[in-house]
Formats: sequence, structure tokens, C-alpha cells
Amino acid sequence: MNHALRYPSRRGFMGGAAGLAALGITLGAGTRPSAAAETMLDVFAPLPPDPSPPGAAKFSEAAFQAWQQAHNARVKYELLAWPQLHDRMATAFASGSSDWDLVYMCGWVPEFLDSIVPYADKLPAATVSDMPASSFKTVTVGGNRYGAVFTLSLLTLFYNTEHLEIAGLKGPPQTWDDLKRYTKELTRDGRYGWVLDYGDSAGIGGTASYWMCFLQQAGGKMYAEDGMPVFNNDAGVDALQIMLDLMKLGTDPGSISYSGINDATNVLLSGRASMMMNWPYMWKPAQDPKQSKIVGKLGGAMLPAGPAGTASIDGTDAWTMTKHCKNTALATNLVDFYLSPEVQKRQALDTGWLPIRLSVLADPEVQKALPNAAVVLEQAKHPYDSFVTANYNQITQALGTEIQKALQGKQSAKQAMAAAHDQVASIIKQNQ
Amino acid sequence: MPIIRQDGAVAARAEAPAPTGTFEQRRRRVGLFFVGPALIALALILGYPIVRSLLMGMQNVHLAGGHIKLHWIGWANYDYLFQDSGFLLALRNTILFSFGEVALVCLLGLGAALLLNHRFGRFGILRVFLIIPWAIAPVANAVLWKWILNANYGVLNAILKSLGLIDHYVVWLGSPMRALSLLLIVDVWKSVPFIALLFLAGLQRIPKILYRAAKLDGANAWNQFRFVTMPGLRTTIAIAVVLQTIWSLRVFDLVFVLTHGGPADGTVLLNFLAYRVTFNFLNLGRGAAIANIIFAMSFVLAILYVWLLQPRRRLSS
Repeated sequence: MNHALRYPSRRGFMGGAAGLAALGITLGAGTRPSAAAETMLDVFAPLPPDPSPPGAAKFSEAAFQAWQQAHNARVKYELLAWPQLHDRMATAFASGSSDWDLVYMCGWVPEFLDSIVPYADKLPAATVSDMPASSFKTVTVGGNRYGAVFTLSLLTLFYNTEHLEIAGLKGPPQTWDDLKRYTKELTRDGRYGWVLDYGDSAGIGGTASYWMCFLQQAGGKMYAEDGMPVFNNDAGVDALQIMLDLMKLGTDPGSISYSGINDATNVLLSGRASMMMNWPYMWKPAQDPKQSKIVGKLGGAMLPAGPAGTASIDGTDAWTMTKHCKNTALATNLVDFYLSPEVQKRQALDTGWLPIRLSVLADPEVQKALPNAAVVLEQAKHPYDSFVTANYNQITQALGTEIQKALQGKQSAKQAMAAAHDQVASIIKQNQ
Repeated sequence: MPIIRQDGAVAARAEAPAPTGTFEQRRRRVGLFFVGPALIALALILGYPIVRSLLMGMQNVHLAGGHIKLHWIGWANYDYLFQDSGFLLALRNTILFSFGEVALVCLLGLGAALLLNHRFGRFGILRVFLIIPWAIAPVANAVLWKWILNANYGVLNAILKSLGLIDHYVVWLGSPMRALSLLLIVDVWKSVPFIALLFLAGLQRIPKILYRAAKLDGANAWNQFRFVTMPGLRTTIAIAVVLQTIWSLRVFDLVFVLTHGGPADGTVLLNFLAYRVTFNFLNLGRGAAIANIIFAMSFVLAILYVWLLQPRRRLSS
């Protein structure tokens, strides 16, 4: 028996490996010309279930492949869980190591203004004219449009229709008084009338941003023309007072410890709470029996009106282009693809994130699958300012912390507003 | 003395310089030569960030256009921090957390080590159980506890309610002091195993003959613990205290996952504050100043740790 055949010598093995490596290099070199012809686009985006692009989330995958082939391009996604996006971007931009062409933004445009470029005016007119003009507000600085919002994402009211029916309440609450009454009456049988995530102070979806909804409903605003805070007044105090009233009347006590909307959403989906304000994406998981115990029992409505009417805040999920973008024309084309009616429709139907295009929002199929689309569209007719500034995180952290203290009964609404006002004014002055 | 060879190599050998210094000195020089590259690499990897951080702590650092703009401001960042209520709260939280953690970990660790060193506790399975909390990845540990402590679905509430100990679910992370205390308990749970093993190693180094002698002298269990075990563990305890204090200053993952510093900043520790100021607020200079304060505290403790190790070396040599 030839042992050399059964047990290759070390030298033979090394020789074989070297041969394979050489073959690999040759083949690799052979394929390089066609690869080089491809244009690579790097896109930084959130992981699903947050709003994610086709190819990253499961929708329009075939169309996405076709777009890449048609443009001889390859799109490489870098995906992170939403809470980590801001800090990853901050470090990448600070160190100059960012090689992204397009990046997702959520109210951070003023903060990262020096790292991105205005491009949205180069989008086709047909696309822009089909988007609400107000959707560009949070991505426009100094008259330049730095981004394109790709989902209509406003906070609206979600409620458990069965709970309302049992309590003998007809229709969703329309006013603050209704909201307080409903919260009290729905708090029974081991469940709570209201739930929200008050655990995280800062950012869009943090405690301060929820208060901003109430602030606008009370007729208030965050800043004066000179950029200084103007919320330490009746409107600001009233906005916080209703949060405190709801807390006493029947907010899930766990709300103060929930950080992230998913914590609060899970409480509503399990039937342990009856009402909350949430983003439009919630509709879809609520209809999934694997995730929800309230399938078919979810209702949607505009946020209850305060003294000045209803109002909301904008999620501001947008695509922006970095100053290092390798191919601005192709990147703009990719955003236009993300905003195309077909992709927008699949985004709505498959992920639950509403389209930004008005024609797709009006599509009967979309409206049938996502009844909350009409509600969000209606909500968009009222104020929805998220008050994003370059110091948004720092400001909402200070503001949200004072609100949390009030929610815990450590101070009154008036004291909280006075303390928050002083801190916000100080932050703004320091950064001027 | 030169070696004379027939091929004439004698001249060359005779001209070669004679080795200088003793054998030991030459051995050290060669050792330094071999260790040198590693020392240089370490100095670059560790030293550069430290120096850069120290400098940044004295600068106003702004992110602009993908570049960092630096402006020298001396001690202004530190002046600001020591007047800032947020920093002082974080400092207070950190001190409370560190004291609590060191005391609890050392007490529980010593108890566990004594149990494991006892003949009833020498089953391998007990040591395996002890190691589990330490072996769990830090973030996984935090997520695990997030679900245990969840106000609505948490296992802890379910168990306490089923035992009739509570009527309503408790919001464990709902008030600043309770949340901080629970963070402490969670970190103690994770830290006890290592310190217990450290103590166990210390216990096993105490000669058995000392216990026999104490018994012969009529010492009961308490007196044996007091006069034999504790003196024998003195250095180990000091090392455990210093190490655990250093580790308690580094806690970040628990705060990030469980509370994000809330509620009302009640669980913000210095490490988390440094992260928040640097990456959330993009104030890199002030963030570096906070990091430098943590570094200074750790550095002092590290010197103490090295100093504590020295007598042991002398004893063993």
C-alpha cells in the first residue's frame, strides 16, 4: 500500500496549499475588472423593526436587486440597532473614519450639519411634489434641504377598542379632559388606562419629546425667534400638568422605568394597558398573533386636543448624504428609488412604516391594510414640530430629567419648568 | 586569554572587545533588548490615548466638518465639572456604588470561599454554580436582569406575588435610590464569584498546621477564624478591595442596558456620564475630563494594588 497516497507529506501539503492560493489569486485577478466597474455605495441605516431600507428589511428585495443591476452598483449596508445610531455616527464623523455615502438621520441634521451636504433639491420634481412640503422642515437648515424623509411618522393615539367598549366609552378621547376621564375609567381589572416609556429622557421618543406634543397642544413652543427657550409659561406648565394628572389617574407605574418605545408597546399589545401614543409602525405588529394579544382590537385616532387643538411630533426618519459621498448622482438616484411609489407601497404593506408619498398614502390597498394611515395623514394637518436643534440631545436630556422628577412627585410642574428653562437657556448660551 | 588557532584567526579574536559588565548585567541588557519592542508598542497603545485624553481634558473640542477643532482652555472643563450638579450627582452615585459594592462583594465572596473551603462545600458542582454569574457576558447579564426586574413581566414580581409577599407589582427601577441599589445588587451578583475564588486561593495557602495548633490551644471556630484565617487573608482582602474598587469604577454596561442613567439621572455613574457627555452631547473635551478623573482614581488604586503585591513577593522569595 502506498502510504504517500494516504498521508500526504507536509511538504506536499504546503505545496498543494500554495498551488490553491495561486489559483485563487489568479481567479481573483481575473474577476477584478468586472468588480471594479461596479460602483459601491455605503449606506448607514437602522436595523428592523425600525425604519430600514429595502434589502436590509424584508421588502422590495427583487426591485432592490434590479436597481443594483441596472445601475451596475452594489449597495453595502451597515446596520445598527436604533439606539446606537447616533453615537456611532458621532464617533465616525469625529474621527473622520466615516466612508458612508448615505446615512439615516432622526432629528440630528442640525447636529451633524458639517458632515452632510444638501442634496434633496436634486431629487426629481415628481418625487418632491408628491411629498408633504412640511416633511422637509426638520431636514432644512438655512434654506438648504439636507435630507428626504421617507416615512410619515407622527405620534398618534392608539387604543384598545375592547377595553373602551367594556368601560362603556364611545370612541377615542377627543380632548385632554376626555383623556383624563378615559385614563381613570380604563384603569381597572389589573390594567392601566395609559402607558408610555418615560425611562429615557433624551431624544425623539424620550420623555421630553412626549412633553413637546402636549406643549404644542397647549399652544406653547420651545424657542423664541432669538433661539432662547420660551416654555416656562402657562402652556409649558399645563403640558406637564396633564402628564402628571395622567400619572395619578392611571398611567402604568412601570412607565417611568421603560426605556424605549418597545417596552411600552409590549404592555399595550399584551392588553395590560388601554391607550398610548405611538409611531405608525405599531399597527402591523399589533395584528400579528405572535406578538400581540389584541389582534383586531386596536384603534387609532389623532392625539387628544389641548387648549390649542391637537398636535404631535415628527419622527423625522430621513436619508441624508455625507460630504464624503463617492457618487452623489448615484446616491441621489438610490434615495429616489427608496422613495419610488412601488418601494414606498411595499414599505408600508410589508413593514408597517407608512410611506411619505401622498399618492401612496392615498392608495386604497395601503389604506385598507393600514387604517392608521388616514389618521396619520389627518394628524399631519396640525402642528408637529420636533424642535430639533444642534444641541437637541443635551437639551432634551436636561428637560426630560426635570420632567421625570416631576413624574415621580419630587417637584411640581411649575418647579420643573422653571428648572428646565434655566438649564436649557444655559446650554444654549454655552454653545453660542 | 586568547585562543591560538593554526589558521591565523587568533588576531581577529584577540582584537574583539572584551564583554563589559558582569554576566547578570549582560543578561539584563539582552533581556531589555528583547522586551524593548513590546514595551514601545505598549507605550504607544496605552500611553498615546492617555496623553491625548489628558490634553483633550484641557481643551474645548468641537466636531466640525468631519474634523475636530481644538481650543486650549486650561482647567476650565474641570472647574465646570466641580460646579455642575449633574457631575456631582454622578460622583456621589459612584462613591455610594463603589463603597456598597466593595463591602458586599468582599463579605459575600469571603462567605462563599469559606463554604467552598469547608469539607461540606467541596463538591465540584458548587464551584460550577458559583462561576456561572461571572461567566455570563456583561451585556447578556444586564439584559437578563432587565427582564427579571421588568415591572410588568418580570420574574421577580411574579415570584414575590405568587409567594404573597407583594400585592401589586413593584416598579423596581422606578425610583432613583431603588434603581441604584438594584444596579448594585446585580453587579454584586456578577462580581462575587471571582472574589470568592480569590479568597478560596488565599484560604488554601494558610497552612493547616496553624488550625491544628489553634485547636490544641483550645480555640473554637470563631477564634480560629479571627486569629488564623483573617490574618492569613489580610493581603488577599486588601487586593480584593482594591481590585473590586477599580472594577466598580468601570461599571457601564449595566447602567446602559438597565436604566440609561434614569430615572431622573438617579443611576448615572461617572463612566456613563463620560460616555453621555462625549457621544450624546458631542462635548469631547468635557467627556475627556470626566474620563481623566476616573483614570486618576483608578491609577491611585492601581499603585496601591502593586504596592500590596510587593510584600507577597518578598515573602514567597
